Amino acid sequence: MTEQIIFYLLAAVITLAALGVVLLPTLMHSALCLGLCLAGVAGIFASLGSDFIFAAQILVYVGGIAVLILFVVLLAGSASGRITRQINAQWLPALLLCGLFGWAFLKIVAHFSFGLAPQSAPEPTVRALAGLMLGDYAVPFELISIVLLASMTGAVLFGRRKAE
Amino acid sequence: MTTEETILTKISEPVFNHANGRLLMPEERYWPSRKWKSPWSLPAYRSGAALLAGILSGAVLAAWLIGEIPLRLAPLYSLAEQYALSYGVPLFLFHLAWTVIKAALLLAVPLVNALFAVWWERKVSAHIQSRLGPMYVGRFQGCLQTVADGLKLFLKEDIVPDCADKLVHLLAPVVVVIPAILVFAPVPFGRELIYADLDIGTVYVFAVGGVSVMGIIMAGWASGNKFSLLGGLRSAAQLVSYELPRTFAVIPIIMLAGTLNISAIAGLQAGYWGGILPRWFIFYPVVGQVAFIVFLIASVAETNRVPFDIPEAESELVAGFNTEYSGMKFALFFLSEFAYVLLSCLLMAAFFFGGGEPPLPFLGFLPSWAWFLAKTLTLMFCFLWFRWTFPRFRVDRLMDFNWKFLLPVSLLNIAAAGLLIWLIS
Repeated sequence: MTEQIIFYLLAAVITLAALGVVLLPTLMHSALCLGLCLAGVAGIFASLGSDFIFAAQILVYVGGIAVLILFVVLLAGSASGRITRQINAQWLPALLLCGLFGWAFLKIVAHFSFGLAPQSAPEPTVRALAGLMLGDYAVPFELISIVLLASMTGAVLFGRRKAE
Repeated sequence: MTTEETILTKISEPVFNHANGRLLMPEERYWPSRKWKSPWSLPAYRSGAALLAGILSGAVLAAWLIGEIPLRLAPLYSLAEQYALSYGVPLFLFHLAWTVIKAALLLAVPLVNALFAVWWERKVSAHIQSRLGPMYVGRFQGCLQTVADGLKLFLKEDIVPDCADKLVHLLAPVVVVIPAILVFAPVPFGRELIYADLDIGTVYVFAVGGVSVMGIIMAGWASGNKFSLLGGLRSAAQLVSYELPRTFAVIPIIMLAGTLNISAIAGLQAGYWGGILPRWFIFYPVVGQVAFIVFLIASVAETNRVPFDIPEAESELVAGFNTEYSGMKFALFFLSEFAYVLLSCLLMAAFFFGGGEPPLPFLGFLPSWAWFLAKTLTLMFCFLWFRWTFPRFRVDRLMDFNWKFLLPVSLLNIAAAGLLIWLIS
């Protein structure tokens, strides 16, 4: 019962914030709504009892990515306060397409019927996660880190060339 | 006129003292005081030292008498539980009430800390600059000055600038202060004196503490003022940058301890090498000291305090992101700043100084919370001391120092920790 109330509250926060991201006229408000939306997703993780994913979500998405986006918005200066329309003439086809995708997702979820995760007291998951990442899935994990490193180096390289 | 009296400044006219609303009597017309022949005389110093010794020994006696707080509270808890059961109160309601009480106690930590730390900071700064600082409110050394300041802030008009974004301007202090309170949940204050013993305590603290940056950016942008905007920008850049070495400095400790639980890390440092040197992580050769220094520097930067107070540099930016805030909204920013100072000191005490473990074996008669508090306050004094000692960094040097020095050092330190673990095992 309590879990369901928490879930629906969080779901409402996430949905409204996500709508805010795409509908609010000011760039800064959209960026702030994105932060709220990501924090809501972290709340869902916490209510499902996966503590490490919750903390990682807050650390990486709310404290990292949302803050970087806000930073970029601040750097944009006066453009950040300008009121712009976020919707153009093609809104009806886009809405229909989104509806189609939503319906498809519902069908897929209903077909595989994951069900809700079993509710129990949250157990520490860090050790198990570490065992998986650096044990069974060590190669994919390292590959991902190489991809990230390469993209980071590439970003630095492009940034440098532009400055010269 | 003796030589002593020439040192004192004699106030020629009876002066109306606005601080306590009365005329200074002729015998009080000497400043700092006529109690001593000279403010720098030996008896004056002796009296000050005696006062400090008295306060310290009183605190030691009180801590010894109180003992371990969980031991004192356990009978109280079971008594309350029995009482509730005998009146037919449902058990979940009782647990809910207990959680609320615990949360209220936790909420009191940053509030009381701000009351104390602001007064302490003013006294420390005053004595570093050969002043006296607050002296009137509360009779003893102006100890109620912060309470008076808080009342003043309560009564101040709440001003919202015309070109501000009203909603974001209102929400910014809230977004800053809520993580500053939430972040204390997994932090221990002594052995078993903890609100929520989270297994991922370390990650939680860094994650939730990082959310406050959003509030600072919001404050900078929503004020509709170029100084605030610049302050918010600088602050975001600085906090995001210094977050990295700060987190990396803790990784060697996590590697050595093998857990993310803060109270477990503190508890692992019990015991002594050779019966004398405590097994604190700061005494691990090279790795411990480097990690501590990097963490200390990055923590000072994270709390926007002086050598790194670029975001609110008075001489350049008026007051940075909190220029346009008045009354309680400003007080909330202030509160969260001191909450983060306290948090950094608590974390350093837990990670590097053995938490509640006594520094020498025969000092174990004092309870763990007293040691934790003593270490935290000593580290906090360092924070206050830095503020009145170092000049401010320049913006570009601040970033250079972080990216070109602190970050590589903290990364090398992780490798060194790996080497140390390999050597030990």
